[in-house]
Amino acid sequence: MEIKAEDIKVSFQAKQVLRGISLNASKKEFVGIIGPNGSGKSTLLKCIYRTLKPDCGAVYLDGLELERMSVKSSAKKMAVVAQHNYYNFDFSVREVVLMGRSPHKKMLERDTAEDFRIVEEALRTVQMEAFADRSFSTLSGGEQQRVILARALAQQTQALILDEPTNHLDITHQLRLLELVKGLNVTVLSAIHDLNLAAAFCDRIYVMQDGRIVSCGTPKEVLTPELIREIYQVDAEIVRDSKGNMHILYT
Amino acid sequence: MKKTDPSQHQSNILHTSVFILALLVLLAVLVFSVLAAVTFGNADLSVRDVYSVIAYELFHIESLAAYKEGAVHDVVWLIRLPRVLLALGVGMGLSVCGVVMQAIVRNPLADPYILGVSSGATLGATLSIMLGVGSFLGGNFVGIMAFAGAIVTSFAVMYIANLGGRATSGKLILAGTAVSSVCSAFSSFVLYITNDNSATSQVTFWTMGSLAGADWSRVRVILPVILLCSLFFWSQFRNLNLMLLGDEVSITLGADLHRARKLYLMISSLMVGFAVYTAGMIGFVGLIIPHVIRILFGTDHRRLVPLAALLGSVFLIWCDVACRVILENAELPIGILVSIIGAPCFIYLLVSRSYGFGGGK
Repeated sequence: MEIKAEDIKVSFQAKQVLRGISLNASKKEFVGIIGPNGSGKSTLLKCIYRTLKPDCGAVYLDGLELERMSVKSSAKKMAVVAQHNYYNFDFSVREVVLMGRSPHKKMLERDTAEDFRIVEEALRTVQMEAFADRSFSTLSGGEQQRVILARALAQQTQALILDEPTNHLDITHQLRLLELVKGLNVTVLSAIHDLNLAAAFCDRIYVMQDGRIVSCGTPKEVLTPELIREIYQVDAEIVRDSKGNMHILYT
Repeated sequence: MKKTDPSQHQSNILHTSVFILALLVLLAVLVFSVLAAVTFGNADLSVRDVYSVIAYELFHIESLAAYKEGAVHDVVWLIRLPRVLLALGVGMGLSVCGVVMQAIVRNPLADPYILGVSSGATLGATLSIMLGVGSFLGGNFVGIMAFAGAIVTSFAVMYIANLGGRATSGKLILAGTAVSSVCSAFSSFVLYITNDNSATSQVTFWTMGSLAGADWSRVRVILPVILLCSLFFWSQFRNLNLMLLGDEVSITLGADLHRARKLYLMISSLMVGFAVYTAGMIGFVGLIIPHVIRILFGTDHRRLVPLAALLGSVFLIWCDVACRVILENAELPIGILVSIIGAPCFIYLLVSRSYGFGGGK
C-alpha cells in the first residue's frame, strides 16, 4: 500500500508544529523519520493515523483521501504501534490482541475460531504466546510494546505506522522487532530515534527539524557527518563494518 | 501456516464455557431469588399460599380460584411481587450503568451517579418535598421531580464537557463534580431556609433509597426499559472494550467513539433516572458489582455486562429482603443496608484476590 502526505500543516495555538510536510512511502517500502525531540515526528504520524486533524493538507492511502474514508476502513488498511498504552483496567494479553480484530467486525459479529487463530499466531510472532493469559498491566514496558505490535499484526493491514517502536525494548528485541517488521513485506512508516537502527533497516529516511523536512533519501545519502552535526549538534563519523553495513560513531 | 497450539485453543474453550456456566448459574440463582424473596415479609404467609397466588395469576388455574382475591392475594400479588421485580430492575440497571460509566470515563471509581445524577435527583426531591414544586404531577411527584433533576443535571454535565472541543473523560468527571456541588449547595440552601424538621427527615429518608413504593405500574415501565437498555449495552461490548483503551487507540482500531459515548451517556442517564424515580438513591451497587465481576471474570465487556446485570439484580433482591425482615415492624432504608453488607464483602474480595484496578499486582 502507498501512503502519501501532502503539505500537512498543524499549529498548537500560536506555535506552528508542522510547516507544510509532504512525504510518501511506496508499496512495501520501509520509510524512517528521524529528527530531534520536538521536531514534529509524532505530530506528523498522528495526522497520518487520524488522531489529529491537520489544519491543512491531506493524507492519501493508495490514492484515496483519508478524510473521505471511515475510520473502520482506514483501520483495515493501516495499523499503528504508538506510545499511549497505559490502561487503567486489567485486560488479558489475549484480549488486548483480539481487539486488533475489531475493524474487521460488524456490530454484533462474534469472534470466530479464525480470529483466535490469528491472535495466537500474532502472539507467537512476537514471542509472547506464553503470556497470553497474563494481565496486560503486569507486563514490563518492553513486553507491553511487543503485545501492542501483536495487536497491530492481528489487524492484518498492508501498512504499519510505528512511533518509536523500539522504546522500552532491550537490544535483542529492538533488532528482532525491526527485523520482524521488515520481514512482513508491508509498507512501514516509522519514527526512529536510533540513527544506527534507522541506517540498518530503512529503505529511505526523512529528516525533520522544526516542523520541516530538511532532507530525504537513502540512509547512505542522508546520514552524513555534516547533516548529523547540523541537526543534532554532535560530531559523528560514519564507518563501514566487515559486512559493509554503515555505523555511526559519535565522536 | 503454523499449527495452532492445542492447549491455547483449549484455554479459549475453557474460558468461554466458564462464562456460559456462570451465566446459567446466575440466571438460575436469579429465578430462585425472585421465587424465594416473595416468601419473606412482615405478613406471616405460608409458602404454599404465596405460590398458589402466583400460580393462579400466571396460569389462571381453576382449582386455585380461592386465591383470586383477599388479603393474601393482595400482599403477594400487589405488594411483594412488584417489589421483588422492582429490586431486580433497579439492581440490574444500576450495575449495568456502573459498568458503562466506568468505561466511558475510564475510571474505576466511577459509579452511575458520577455525572452529578445523585445531587441533581436530590435537588429535585428536595424542591418537591420542601416547597411542593411539581405537586400537580400526581402521586409520585417526588420521584418525577427527582427523575427530572437527574436527567437535567446529566445532560448539563454532558453539554459542559463538550464545550470547547471533545468531551474527554477528565472533563466529564470534573464537570460532573462541579455541577454536583452546585446542586448540593442549592439543596442545602433550600433545607436551611425552610427549616422544617419533618420534611428534612423525609428528604434524608428519600436519599437513602427504598423500594417500598413498588407497584405494577412502575414495574411495567422500568423493567422493559432496563432490560432493553442492558441488552443494548451487552451488544456494544466491542466499543466498551475499546473505550477503555482511549480515543486515540480506538481510532487506530477503527472506532471513533465520540458519538457512541454521547449515546451511551444518554441511555445510561435514562436508566439511572428511572432507577431514581422508582427507588430513590441507592449507592454503592453500581460501583461494586462491576468490580466484583471484574475480579472474578476479567474486564472483557462481553462477559462483564451480562454477569454484572444478573449479579446486581440478585444482590439488590436479597438486600431488599433483608431490609424488610431485619427490623421488626419497620423497614431499613436499602441504601444503608447495601453499604453495610456490600462494603465488607467488597473489601474481602479486594484483599483476597489482589485486584489492582489494572495498576499491577
